[in-house]
Amino acid sequence: MHLIKRLKKYLHTYLPFTRAGIQAAMVFRTNFIAWFVGDIVYCLVMYYIWLAVFNASGEGMMNGFTMTDMTVFLFITAMTRFLTDSDGSYDVGEEVKDGNIAMRLIKPVSFHSTFLFTEIGWKLLTFGLIFAPVVIGVEIYKYNAYGGFSLDIAAFLLYLVSMILSYLFSFYMNVCFGFMAFFLKNLWGFNIIKSSILRFLSGAIVPLALMPGALRQVLEWLPFSSLCYTPVMIYMGKYSGSEAALRLAIQFGWVIGFYLISKLILSTALRHVTVQGG
Amino acid sequence: MKKNRIKHFFKEIHRAFRLQRMFAALHLKKLMEYKVDFTIGAVGFILEQVINIAFLTIIFGRVENLRGWGYYEVLFIYGFSLFPNGLDHLLFDNIWNVGYWMIRKGEFDKYLTRPINTLLIVTVEEFQLDAFGKLLLGIALMVTSIRHIDLPFIWYDIPLALIAILFGMLIYSSIKTIFGAIAFWTKRSGHLMEVAYNLNQFSQYPVSIYSRAVRGAITYVIPFALTSYYPASYLLRHTRPVFSILSPAVAAIILMIIALIVWHKGLDAYESAGS
Repeated sequence: MHLIKRLKKYLHTYLPFTRAGIQAAMVFRTNFIAWFVGDIVYCLVMYYIWLAVFNASGEGMMNGFTMTDMTVFLFITAMTRFLTDSDGSYDVGEEVKDGNIAMRLIKPVSFHSTFLFTEIGWKLLTFGLIFAPVVIGVEIYKYNAYGGFSLDIAAFLLYLVSMILSYLFSFYMNVCFGFMAFFLKNLWGFNIIKSSILRFLSGAIVPLALMPGALRQVLEWLPFSSLCYTPVMIYMGKYSGSEAALRLAIQFGWVIGFYLISKLILSTALRHVTVQGG
Repeated sequence: MKKNRIKHFFKEIHRAFRLQRMFAALHLKKLMEYKVDFTIGAVGFILEQVINIAFLTIIFGRVENLRGWGYYEVLFIYGFSLFPNGLDHLLFDNIWNVGYWMIRKGEFDKYLTRPINTLLIVTVEEFQLDAFGKLLLGIALMVTSIRHIDLPFIWYDIPLALIAILFGMLIYSSIKTIFGAIAFWTKRSGHLMEVAYNLNQFSQYPVSIYSRAVRGAITYVIPFALTSYYPASYLLRHTRPVFSILSPAVAAIILMIIALIVWHKGLDAYESAGS
């Protein structure tokens, strides 16, 4: 009872941030439609490259991936990244730099939650505007390729859960990165470095299943495969029930881990914060 | 009258080059001050490409060739594509700012008060040093791949390659200018620029892997393939010399004329957003 009351109060405090996030996203909708087109172009390039690879190899299947699987993989990966990527590092960094962080800190709200709920607003709009149409398109493609309806509702729900965990993981990790702004000015360049490395390590470029043996094992042990590869594999039904459960548990572990680290960084950083600009 | 205008035009270009040198010196001084930031930017752009190279390397662990192109040939084409792209990035980066926020925030007005062509001053003012990352990677890829390929090399391939790179760069900057200038009417067109610019991802790989529609689009509509694949494949195999070298030049000139017309029409329609 007490818990529900607290939760209610929490949501009452932070849902307005989500509303603001949706409104901001509406204003910038042309921007993220442009990013979306960029991602789709990337998917198409990759699609043609894989088509040439499958053609040259003469095999219908590579380590459990057919060309149809690969196509689904490319588009679902792009959508998963679109929805789970967090701009936290940039937003936090900008506020650290221009001093607006002070305004956020003097208000009686949680530093993390305000960022989180604002970004959830953006994600909700992305979900409706971009994610849903593309996933429907992918399902139609699968329907044509397999000659039948093949969406597993349970797998899809698990995928959504896994994606929420990915997003939280990504969010808290990025908040940690955002505090790098204390030391760096070229946040933009830094973000490119970070996202390039993460894209590779998270299995978004090459499916881990197709990577050379040793590299694959290393990447499976690193936390980053939780970011993208896990939800996509769940969507594609590549994991058995128990394996999916294990992967979700690992994701949950990383969310908790990075949550604690980000809290630690925040409290250490705040002791040292000197706001530039007034 | 006509002769005078041509003379005036060359005088303007000459002045622009002088300004370019001054701004470049300014930016180099900035670089000395922010060495870490410069390194981070350059490394970022290198890494963005390196993951694509890693992807190619993994793929070529499984197959011998992609539609007839071997690993080092694909690397050569990829490396070549970074030159026109990197040079445009180095010299014409400021057009992004026009498309994204300069007009919307009313900051474009300052260029109107300068006694020089607006497009020239916009481009020479910025000097994007991050682009050196791309250029260095391009050189590294070309050098590595040449050591593994038998190039059918003739001396005039070098000037031809340089010409192709120059026109390739102009193709990039003209396309950016065309879409950037739309902001004169709409106040903001950065996202349109991004959509057009992103099509360049197609041009980094051999176009023979694409379907005919895609191939046609990147050769004749938004001709990024002319900046990389065609000249690079000429250097690799001496195939279709006339088309490979001439088409980038023709496309660049046509696009430049369109860009200049759109830009100046845009200037006529421009109303300041500032206060």
